[in-house]
Amino acid sequence: MTEVTNFLALMVTAMVPYIFAAQGTMLSGRAGIFNVSQEGMLTIGAAVGFLVSLKVGSNGVGLIAAALVGALFGLVLAVVTTYLRLDQFVVGLALFFLALGAASLLYRVVIGVTMSPPLIPLLSKWRIPLLADIPVLGPVLFNQDPMVYLALLGSVALWWFLFRTDAGMRLRSVGENPKAADSLGINVAATRIWAAVAGSALMAVAGAYLPMIYTGTYTDGIAAGRGWLAIALTFFGGWRPQFIVAGAAFFAGMEVLALRAQVAGIGIPHQFVAMLPYVATLLVMVFAFRWARVPAYLGRNYDRESRLVG
Amino acid sequence: MTAARTPAKTPVLAAAPDDRHAGRVAASVLSAVLPYLVAVVAAFVVAGVIIAALGHDPFVAFRSVLTTSFATPFGVVETFTKWVPLTLMALAFAIPLGAGRFNIGGEGQLILGATAATAVGITLSDLPMPLLLPLVLIAGIIGGGVWAGIAAALMARFRINEILSTVLLNFVSFQVLDYIASEVWPDVGAGFPATVKVGDGAMLPTVGKPALHIGVFLTAAVVVVVAMLMRRSVPGFELRAVGINERAAKVHGIRTSRVAVGAVVVGGMVAGLSGAIEVTGVHGNLLEGIQSNYLLLGIIIGLIARGSLALVPFVAFGISILEIGASAMQRSAQVPAELVLIVEGLILLFLLLSDVLAARLRTFRSGSRTATTPPVAPASVSTEPAAAGGRR
Repeated sequence: MTEVTNFLALMVTAMVPYIFAAQGTMLSGRAGIFNVSQEGMLTIGAAVGFLVSLKVGSNGVGLIAAALVGALFGLVLAVVTTYLRLDQFVVGLALFFLALGAASLLYRVVIGVTMSPPLIPLLSKWRIPLLADIPVLGPVLFNQDPMVYLALLGSVALWWFLFRTDAGMRLRSVGENPKAADSLGINVAATRIWAAVAGSALMAVAGAYLPMIYTGTYTDGIAAGRGWLAIALTFFGGWRPQFIVAGAAFFAGMEVLALRAQVAGIGIPHQFVAMLPYVATLLVMVFAFRWARVPAYLGRNYDRESRLVG
Repeated sequence: MTAARTPAKTPVLAAAPDDRHAGRVAASVLSAVLPYLVAVVAAFVVAGVIIAALGHDPFVAFRSVLTTSFATPFGVVETFTKWVPLTLMALAFAIPLGAGRFNIGGEGQLILGATAATAVGITLSDLPMPLLLPLVLIAGIIGGGVWAGIAAALMARFRINEILSTVLLNFVSFQVLDYIASEVWPDVGAGFPATVKVGDGAMLPTVGKPALHIGVFLTAAVVVVVAMLMRRSVPGFELRAVGINERAAKVHGIRTSRVAVGAVVVGGMVAGLSGAIEVTGVHGNLLEGIQSNYLLLGIIIGLIARGSLALVPFVAFGISILEIGASAMQRSAQVPAELVLIVEGLILLFLLLSDVLAARLRTFRSGSRTATTPPVAPASVSTEPAAAGGRR
């Protein structure tokens, strides 16, 4: 029993970066901007989050700083694709490279090459009174760090915003049919820009969470493919916040399972266990892509002077 | 543009058409080269500001970046040795890009190519060179092709976005490498995952001193053959047709799905060859980290070359100079080599921006003509939703 509880608690923690990164992808994509720089955003978020936390002495400030830097990258992506109509994939990849370079440069400049890297304190757990005493469910869901609560409540809020408010519907309409949205007086450019900015900020927060919960420090390659997996997760979740959370549980479960099996040693070479999350994702996508209802204008730039319909 | 006007004004009538032609060529060369110049200069200016802000001398740093490759024979050999994987990995990205598909899995294809090459090189190590070397290289090509083929099959059969499948297969390939290098043929003394050396007959011959492996010439040949096929052959034509307008290509009877699969597989084969050359020309075995950062650089080169296969080797050479120079810069000017990735990303971004600028200037000059930004990637990439989602 405790083994199961333990596994589930670790899984919920591992879900957090996936949730933030995939909800960011989803939010930006719902307005039509397909950001493919996740892996870079996670990496720069981790570097900035770690360095600021270290210097200021507060993980909260580190998270906010990471969000701001992520927002800045999102702003560049949104502006050059919306106003200059540059290709979203190409700019996304360029920002991915810039972010990787900037992250390792920042670390090199601030910390330098050391034998023992400085560490930041890991996020502490916030125990929620009463609820945490429920068997199994308590330790799994109500004795976690604050970012877990933020990720789960934030996902609910995002669902409410997108599917139960006017502003959310306007945002979705921009990603489905910007011409129609434009004709109704919705500001397409502004909507795309703030959605992409908020989306990138969420991705960077996902990255900043990594040193704060696992390593205590930044290393190159800290994102370990979570950014790419987050794109897969977004498709898997059908571009809906609630299914993205469910999908994140699957991805996180795979990650924890692979780690535990490696430690426990179950007779098969650990390399094959480590492949599991990626192979499972590929297999799952075979089914996910059937039901994925992708925003119609995803990855395309809107030109209001174009005579083409759609 | 001024270059176009000057010769046209010359009063010699007989020479005028030729002159005008020459002028037009000069103008088109200028307008093709100018965005690159602007982008490179702008990226270096930004890098210079960063270097100065870090308290180093930008000019010392730039001098070592730009001259290291040519200062010594070693620099030249090093630059060409690096040019090989950069060119091949850029082709591995650019060939599928021609059909509007993004191959982000060059890394995995390189590793599987290197793995297959190593496997043949170790198990058949007694064979003589004329037999073993071709076998090893072919094994590399097949290894890369098969690995890309998985992604291509998922793309064609289940409509799985190839960006995702190729990236995920990269992460699987790291584990394959680790398994082969630490369980199957481990070199116990290495201290990190690495296999034993391949047979002597599997090693690429070298020329000159310091030694340059002949993979350089092989790569040059691959570039010429691929570029020719792309321009002159039926599959090359079909591939370009799919890239420019997939729906039109389909209407005209091109089997677009098959063409896209072929493009991705060929890209994988080139990446696999690059892996085989790394084993047989540089390392002599399969080792952890053999893929270096060639995937990123290959993508950057492919995008900077705007997917043009003929431009790829030249851009690759420029990036190769930057990469070799960056490590020298770290030694001579204490500027972190990580800066080079930022410079490369900035060159790409500024290139895109200067294209927009050039298009705006053209519209401004020619008055009523509508502004069209020159496509960096084939049109289908930016306009077709299937490139983003699963509705191909």
